[in-house]
Amino acid sequence: MPFRHVFGQVFPLESVIAAIVFGLVLAAMAAAVIVSWRKRRRGTPAARREHLRLLEAAYGLALAGIAAFLVVVSFSANAGDFPRQDPAPTMRVQVTAFQWCWRFHYAGQPVTVTGSCAGGDYPVLVLPAGLPVEIDLTSADVVHAFWVPYLDYKMDAFPGHVDRFTVTLPRPGRWIGRCAQMCGLYHYEMDFYLQVVPQAQFSRWLHARAGAAAVSGR
Amino acid sequence: MTAEPAVTAAPGPKQTDGLVGWLQSTDHKRIGILTLGTAFVMFLFDGLLGLAMRAQLARPGQHILSAQQYNQVFTMHGTGMIGLAITPFALGLGVYLIPLQVGAPRIAAPRLTLLGYWCYVLGAVTLVWAFLTPDGAAAGWWGYTPLSSSIYSPGPGMSLWVAGVFLAACGMILQGATVLWTILRLRAPGVTMLRMPVFAWTMVVTCLMTLASFPSLLTAMGVITATRIDPGLLASNAWNMAYENLFWFYGHPVVYVMFFPFVGCVAEVLAVFSGRRFFNYKGTAFSLLAFAALSMAVWGHHLFISGQQVNDYFSLTSILLTIPAGMEYFGLLGTLAGGRLRYPAAMLFALAFIPQFLIGGLSGIMLGTPSVDYAVNNSYFVVAHFHYTLFAGSVFGFFAGVYFWWPKATGFLLNERAGRLHFVLMVIGANVTYLPMFFLGLKGMPRWVVSYPGGAGFSALSLISSIGAGVIGLAMMVFLYNIYISARQKKPATADPWGGYSLEWLTSSPPPRFNYNAQFPVPRVRSFTPTLDLRERQRERQRVTLSPRAGRPVTDTVTADTRAYRDER
Repeated sequence: MPFRHVFGQVFPLESVIAAIVFGLVLAAMAAAVIVSWRKRRRGTPAARREHLRLLEAAYGLALAGIAAFLVVVSFSANAGDFPRQDPAPTMRVQVTAFQWCWRFHYAGQPVTVTGSCAGGDYPVLVLPAGLPVEIDLTSADVVHAFWVPYLDYKMDAFPGHVDRFTVTLPRPGRWIGRCAQMCGLYHYEMDFYLQVVPQAQFSRWLHARAGAAAVSGR
Repeated sequence: MTAEPAVTAAPGPKQTDGLVGWLQSTDHKRIGILTLGTAFVMFLFDGLLGLAMRAQLARPGQHILSAQQYNQVFTMHGTGMIGLAITPFALGLGVYLIPLQVGAPRIAAPRLTLLGYWCYVLGAVTLVWAFLTPDGAAAGWWGYTPLSSSIYSPGPGMSLWVAGVFLAACGMILQGATVLWTILRLRAPGVTMLRMPVFAWTMVVTCLMTLASFPSLLTAMGVITATRIDPGLLASNAWNMAYENLFWFYGHPVVYVMFFPFVGCVAEVLAVFSGRRFFNYKGTAFSLLAFAALSMAVWGHHLFISGQQVNDYFSLTSILLTIPAGMEYFGLLGTLAGGRLRYPAAMLFALAFIPQFLIGGLSGIMLGTPSVDYAVNNSYFVVAHFHYTLFAGSVFGFFAGVYFWWPKATGFLLNERAGRLHFVLMVIGANVTYLPMFFLGLKGMPRWVVSYPGGAGFSALSLISSIGAGVIGLAMMVFLYNIYISARQKKPATADPWGGYSLEWLTSSPPPRFNYNAQFPVPRVRSFTPTLDLRERQRERQRVTLSPRAGRPVTDTVTADTRAYRDER
């Protein structure tokens, strides 16, 4: 699950840089106001310089340097999100978004979890802890987006197209997931839960669901 | 001083007053005022819809608006603010000011400009109609397919929305084209490209981007039309991706169309009220051009989360925008530094623009990093980001321009005390409304939701944000009140109430039908601040005649500076 990790590194770094830039601009404005006040008191006219070539060049270089640094940060973060050697997924879940809920199908198993999302009937995506899982994301109708805020990751679900990504969740837990693309009337309640359980518990759960499916003839 | 012969020669057809007279006028000043006035009405209307949304979201689980109504409201709010309010503010300012600023008697192809206004009004009427139909347009201002196709939005509202967006965009293309044409072909003798005010330069890039990007919106509307006729097309992913790319090829440049003219307003206002010429003028002009060129290549950062975009390339181009944007800020801050500042309402709005837009800009650079975008895109973080750019930035720049040029356009001054109150309420309102939204987004609140559960941790911040929206509403009422009392007091404005720098301050307030005439001629223009040059030459002449050592070289520092400045040209 590199997304949360990468975001946790990049976002604070960029926030600090942004805060410093913001502080510098505010300081420059405050200085201008103070200088102006003193000029007015002493009766000195406004400065007439229209260019400071050396400062302009230095400033331009500094900007280019900051931009280059941010580009490197962005590229390496993007590479971190999608490592070239993704751990081979141990299982696949086909996630299908539809108006207005979710369907989770565990590939190779007769197990499908879904719900209506209405009135709190949210489907639960159960995943094993510590194992790389491939999510195959698609849509049955309009464009939706699969978003788990805890993962710091979202991805659009398109009809007629499958987006694939791999997540590895190190520890058990339960988090809310949401649709993050305007998809129509009930977009606002198109939520689901992501529940991560220990591997043994996951196997038991999967077998129980598969057995139940066999009994009910699905 | 040479007046342009064309100005004094042709008296032109008589102007008729009244509504009909205005609606058929080919006077760019009237078309400009019509465009700005209509856009302001749309701005208030869409603002009221914003207030309705903030009322709905003030507490969790409210039912002031139904889900369908809410979706219609934010669709109209977004489409209207962008297509019918702030873009026409941008181009309307150009239509009004550009011929004056380049010393032209008229706008190029005035009938085309007027046709542009009519297209825009028809577009506005159609969009409001689309909103008011029972099954109104409710697919957001992006209008993504397949949601906007006839399967998922079967009602007439969506079809009307497509027609309205198309018409309004046509209107803006026509106005942008004639403004650019005026700049390129109708400048008075002596007004070279690098002797135009900064505002005129911002209009050059605004019009270039309008002409380059708005046709893509027209094509995108064609795609929706096709899918409303044959929704089967959307089984293929290519049509959806084509729509998204076409839409954002317009959707990102339009962000700068809604930004540059207001930077231009801020630049003019800052320079005049700092008592000095705009700093780093040439650098700013060239960085504007670079900015416009680069901004045509960043649209893909809206599609990072589509999983079907080249992340690194669009991250690179988006982050590179830092360089020209930073150069523009250098000009703004350099103008302030060493100035002797005055603080009328126009200047206050311009000053607040600088840090407030910066918040929007800096958060925008963060969004140019895919890893950050994955986390916060389509959440309230993004809502906060673009409202800081568009409202706390552009709208503040717009009001700086309104307070600055109002006396020129109407002949009377706006009330300064009400203006200051308007400003204070705007600053409080904007920041209280939009700052909490960053944190709502980081907490995981998605966009486009009519309500949220009480236990999600969004309640307190949403309430604060809604209170802020109320303050913005109050600020707008103060502005309307200001117009009302100022129109009653009618404190007459001189030709140049502020000590302005550009040509329009040399003609009467309001300007005569063809802008300049024998009484108000266009002077010889030697720099981008012709009015200031003229004032300084007059002051120098007075000094020379008043000096007891008349006839000998004057060594007074100010005069020597002035002369050195003049000789440079």
